[in-house]
Amino acid sequence: MKKYIIPIVCFIIAIGASSCQKWKGEHADIYTYTTPAANPVSDKAPLSCSGSGTSVVSVKGTMLSGKTYTVENGCDLVINPLDTLLMQPGVTLNMGTGTSLIVLGTLVSNGSKDAPNWITVPGITKNDAPGGVTPANDPAYAGKWKGIVGGPTCNLMVLRWTHVEYGGLQEGDATSKIANSGAGNQYSILFANYKGNFIMEDSWLYGGVDDPIRISAGKIAIFRNTFEKNGVSGGDCLNAKGGTTGTMAYNLFIGTATNGQKASNKGQATGAPQTNVVMYNNTFVSGGYRQVQSGRGGCINFEEGAAGMYYNNVAINCRFGFRVVGSPVADVAHLSYGNNYQWADSLSVANQFYPTGYITQPQATDIPAINTSAKYLPSNYTLGSIYDGTDVVQKNNPMFTNFPLPTSGHALAQYSAVGNYNFHLQASSPLIGKGNTTIAPLITVPLDKIYGLSEATLPGADLGCFQLNGGGNQH
Amino acid sequence: MIPAPIIQISSKFQRVSLRKNHPLLMKHYYSRYRLLLFLALSLLFSINSIAQTIKGKVSDYKTGEPLVGATVHLTQAGASRFVAVSLNGSYSFKNVKNGAYQLQVNYVGYSTSQVYEGTITSADETKTINVSLQDASQQMTEVKITASNGKESDHAVRTIEKTSPMVLNILSANTIKLLPDVTVANALQRVSGVTIQRSASGEGRYAIIRGMDQRYNSTLVNGIKIPSPDQQYRFVPMDLFPSEMLERLEVIKALTPSMEGDAIGGAMNLVMKSAPSHFTLSANVSGGFSGLFSDGRLFNAFNASPNKQSPAIVNGNNFAATPADFNNKAITSGHSLNNPFSSTAGLTIGDRFANNKLGIIVSASYQNVYRGSDSKQLTPNAQPSPVPLPNSPQFSDAYDRTYSTQTKRVGIHNKIDYVINDKNKLSLYNLYIHQDESESRFTADTLGLGLNTTALNKQITISNRSTLTQQSIYNSTLHGDHILGKKFVFNWDGVYSVANRHMPDRTEFSYDANKTLNTAGSVVTEYDNNTALVHHWENNRDRDLSGYANLIFTPKIGNTDVEFAVGGLYRHKTRDADYIDYQLKGGLTYYNNNFNSLPFAINTPAGGLGSNNDQLENNYHITENDNAEYFQFKFNPLDKLQVLGGVRVENTDMSYATQSPITVTERSGNIKYTDVLPSIHLKYELADNQNIRASYFASISRPGFGEIVPYKITGEYYDQEGNPHLKHITADNYDLRYELFPGGADQFLIGTFYKKIYNPIEFFVVRDGGPSTQVIKPMNDAGNATNYGLEVLATKFFGVLGFSVNYTYTHSRITTSKLLYQQSAGQSANQSFVDETRPLQGQADNVGNASILFKSAKLGLDMQAAFVYTGERLFQVSPYYNLDFYQHAYNQLDFSFEKTITKKLSFYGKINNITNAAAKIYLKYPHAQIDPKQQEFLGKQDITSQTLVQSDFYKTFFLGGFRYKF
Repeated sequence: MKKYIIPIVCFIIAIGASSCQKWKGEHADIYTYTTPAANPVSDKAPLSCSGSGTSVVSVKGTMLSGKTYTVENGCDLVINPLDTLLMQPGVTLNMGTGTSLIVLGTLVSNGSKDAPNWITVPGITKNDAPGGVTPANDPAYAGKWKGIVGGPTCNLMVLRWTHVEYGGLQEGDATSKIANSGAGNQYSILFANYKGNFIMEDSWLYGGVDDPIRISAGKIAIFRNTFEKNGVSGGDCLNAKGGTTGTMAYNLFIGTATNGQKASNKGQATGAPQTNVVMYNNTFVSGGYRQVQSGRGGCINFEEGAAGMYYNNVAINCRFGFRVVGSPVADVAHLSYGNNYQWADSLSVANQFYPTGYITQPQATDIPAINTSAKYLPSNYTLGSIYDGTDVVQKNNPMFTNFPLPTSGHALAQYSAVGNYNFHLQASSPLIGKGNTTIAPLITVPLDKIYGLSEATLPGADLGCFQLNGGGNQH
Repeated sequence: MIPAPIIQISSKFQRVSLRKNHPLLMKHYYSRYRLLLFLALSLLFSINSIAQTIKGKVSDYKTGEPLVGATVHLTQAGASRFVAVSLNGSYSFKNVKNGAYQLQVNYVGYSTSQVYEGTITSADETKTINVSLQDASQQMTEVKITASNGKESDHAVRTIEKTSPMVLNILSANTIKLLPDVTVANALQRVSGVTIQRSASGEGRYAIIRGMDQRYNSTLVNGIKIPSPDQQYRFVPMDLFPSEMLERLEVIKALTPSMEGDAIGGAMNLVMKSAPSHFTLSANVSGGFSGLFSDGRLFNAFNASPNKQSPAIVNGNNFAATPADFNNKAITSGHSLNNPFSSTAGLTIGDRFANNKLGIIVSASYQNVYRGSDSKQLTPNAQPSPVPLPNSPQFSDAYDRTYSTQTKRVGIHNKIDYVINDKNKLSLYNLYIHQDESESRFTADTLGLGLNTTALNKQITISNRSTLTQQSIYNSTLHGDHILGKKFVFNWDGVYSVANRHMPDRTEFSYDANKTLNTAGSVVTEYDNNTALVHHWENNRDRDLSGYANLIFTPKIGNTDVEFAVGGLYRHKTRDADYIDYQLKGGLTYYNNNFNSLPFAINTPAGGLGSNNDQLENNYHITENDNAEYFQFKFNPLDKLQVLGGVRVENTDMSYATQSPITVTERSGNIKYTDVLPSIHLKYELADNQNIRASYFASISRPGFGEIVPYKITGEYYDQEGNPHLKHITADNYDLRYELFPGGADQFLIGTFYKKIYNPIEFFVVRDGGPSTQVIKPMNDAGNATNYGLEVLATKFFGVLGFSVNYTYTHSRITTSKLLYQQSAGQSANQSFVDETRPLQGQADNVGNASILFKSAKLGLDMQAAFVYTGERLFQVSPYYNLDFYQHAYNQLDFSFEKTITKKLSFYGKINNITNAAAKIYLKYPHAQIDPKQQEFLGKQDITSQTLVQSDFYKTFFLGGFRYKF
């Protein structure tokens, strides 16, 4: 016993001493001067178009921290081509019924972890319990306002620590013509300038009607976001079309109507680059169940001339697995993938890990292992053919902090919001350390604390969007 | 004695025309024909056989033209008989008895001849009596009216062709009557240099003249331009007009200053029947069927929705429609008809009253025709693939469609002319045409070939669309002719016209049939979902108020008669259009063949609201005020040389206003332009029956209303949108033609033309926001187009047999920039523009017609076998380089006949598309090189170096009936 005393005492002293380091310290409170915003947007009255005889209310300047701004029902809030709207941290922008935010110039919503921004509709109660409300009655899918519409002249759109909620109302004639964005759109966010930059980091997108985010073309960086209840009966959550380059990483998707992330080179404009999207460390839960058409995807989809890569992703109970389309064929010569994890509650999900009819090539680094059994991906397996997934049902439980697997009590389609669930990994998770960290993100946007991407998180060692070391998605 | 050669000739005809026909039909036809022959023979055998002959020629008093078809009556001892004048203008009575006779000739539009009396005695005697008839209208008054002195016979129109100052081709009423066609559109394809564009059911619809598509041509009724019920363009769908209402059909290929200047390809002038000189009554009735519906393939019929207007029109744009506001009868009333019976009927009554001063003609035509087609089509993906080759074609959909179309046409027109005195004449013309087209379209669409549909996974979208399209044209023209003095003539027209098109509640129901297949190819599961319902309304109406005035002054300058004309027109035109779609979805409920159980709802927020319609720009109002003035002269500087020339000034002032909100750029606009259009036409008479012509004219083509308004509509492959920045098209046109009119109906024409077209409007693909919204937009091409060609036409009769051929070679070129999507080794895919030179859309290099006619006035039998050849032509321009669609050469063989049963009654028949020719469209890309995953959807291919992407079959159409003429 005695021989332990000295070490114990030393230990206690050491702790004490190190604790003393905490008492030590220095506090400086030095005056800094910030020049006032030149064009503070007034919050005295709603941003109103009704006096103008049109639906347009133009806006530029700065929305100040802590203030709440309101857009009058039916108005299009327009940022003109040479103008900038900067939303300081802690701004709430309440969108009236049928409104839109049309960005022809620059939009920076510079929220912070402590003071996020809100672009939302006030007074709506969320009901995020699984099966708590049917999609038809859920305000998340009702399209209260039209969304953020980036026109072809929008050179920069930044959404940082920003909640965007309840968008997706059909744009209608006036809005789509002002934005020059094409008719019939029902997107929560549209970006359509292949020379422009779209940055979305640490933000939340809640609700939506069609594709919640449509990137018609653009340089993109979409990092560490959470997507819930996206798309009512169809729509890919992040749908990138011809001329899109960049990275989608550390995003959490739950209950997307169709795919979480999709890349296609459809409609590549003359002068625009080929679509090339790098996707890593994303987590997809219960994707693809509100798509009424069959044969669509549920997590990641590469098609029609799109190049890129996808690694370290996690798909939990998605209706279809990671999908590479053979016709019109993705740019398979410039597409690589591996280290992707899938979980199936049921056989029908496991049977679509490698979706029937497509050309996803099973990789040796995939989990479950592609040589799990003689029935699962047998030696004569050809791409896209039917196989028996019995042996991979409910295998390799990912050990989320709080999300029961296999699920019970609810249909898979009813898991559409995070609520009290927690998709961080427990230390015992088989997902830990399985990631490929040799790949590199494709950074096409400027790196900047405000007017660019503030942090390009590199690929993580643990699969999915939450890293055991606290890295990755910060939500 | 007489019958023998007839049998020979007619059986030869059957061989020619019916060779490829079904043996059963042939047998059927034979038996019918035998009956006719029997009737004919029994008539012939009643004639006595004695050898005296009375013969002679019947001709026009003024022109000396033979009057084929005039009736010569011979009365002997109280008994009367008659013969018709034959093709060379002669008649003869062979077995005339000895004794006194009276002979008299009459002919429609001419005064009845004097009675020639005489006695015939000795055997073998041959009496020759030549008769010339005077034109009834000329006799009545010296007023010369170009539109009303035309006659219905072939040689009458030959005269017009010969004496006309400009280049034209004419089909006479007699020719049209015998044609296998019942609409003007189909008759047009028989005219030299004309090809037709068909509707989905195979019915001709638009005319392409000398390789210039619809937009370059104009339609006139009695020389007056009529508005179009078309939803986009100014050109008129020519299948609206029943051909039997025409006195003649003119295709004018060179414009004089007195004509409206907006025709570059040509102007189609429908000259309607005018009041006869004496009581005329004719009626016809016929029935028939399409071979398409006779072997198991049923005709799909439906009853139209009672909702004539959209909820937004009925209740205003702020009304939010709910599913209860729609009626689905157009889908739920669907039923099948087995071999439905088509019918047509026509009635014409005309007479002259009040001492020949008042002439009236009323003509009505009714057609109820059931037709259809079976169509297979591969729709190209919105963008091709850059691999393995640049612009490798890909397909997104494989369509299998059956069309069933019932077309009901009613045409009524009447003309009243009143001769006030020998210096003044008035006429009032009214035309009303109405067409109801009920089209049922069943589609099986194998969707997303390779994307959503694979060898193991089939998604077939089944859709059923019921469309009722109602179109009508009303035209009322009051015309006056006044002789103001010895040298002055004044004439004027006051015109009111309305053209309407309604598409009330087009209803389309669709659902996905999802089939999962196992590796052996059998269906494991199938469920039907994604039900959708679309209700669509579309209306447009044009109204024209126009006034025309012409003053003609004919002095003698030196020794030469000179004709000066000045005149002009003013037109006030308005057009209103509206357009709306309502999308209803059945949600997640599966479709189990129980339409009524589907919980249809409008589930896009605000989707039922008229004011949230994305297409408010499709609701528009247009006003156009045009005025034109011209100066024209005509004289003969040399005895044989006629010069007609002058200049026309056209001013166009067009304003449009859409319902788009005021924040929408281009929502309204005003466009004005002035054109100065000189022309000169030279005609040199090489001999009495030969002309050589040379002409130059400048002309324009105005953009269609639907393309200049910034409208947006769903198109076949791409959405289309309008372009208010379109400039109008102008052209310089040169013509040279040699003509020979040997007499009778014979003619030989050879001509050449050259056109330079400035600011041609072509369709380009442009990005409109998102990637799925690449749209087709009409734009003026920076380059000019050229179009030149050669036309030959020959008609020759050998006794009762006639041959007519025409052939046109056309060569047009335009260079436009197209997209090239490629991936070079190791590099990324990119898209660039490259120039491609191609023909104008719709133009075929080689176009020809050939027909064999048998016309025996003696037998009362006319027969015609008509063959149309349309060479390969550019069908659809692709936005991508080298991916244009070409329609393969198309041959069609038609047959028709008319046989007199009694003096007043005849039997006629028309058989269309005897060989069941298919319209086939190809991509010029070897089909074996198409992506292997798509091969299974390609279907049967027949040309190695091309890919068949569409084939439409119409089958043979039969019509037979009776014509009664008083």
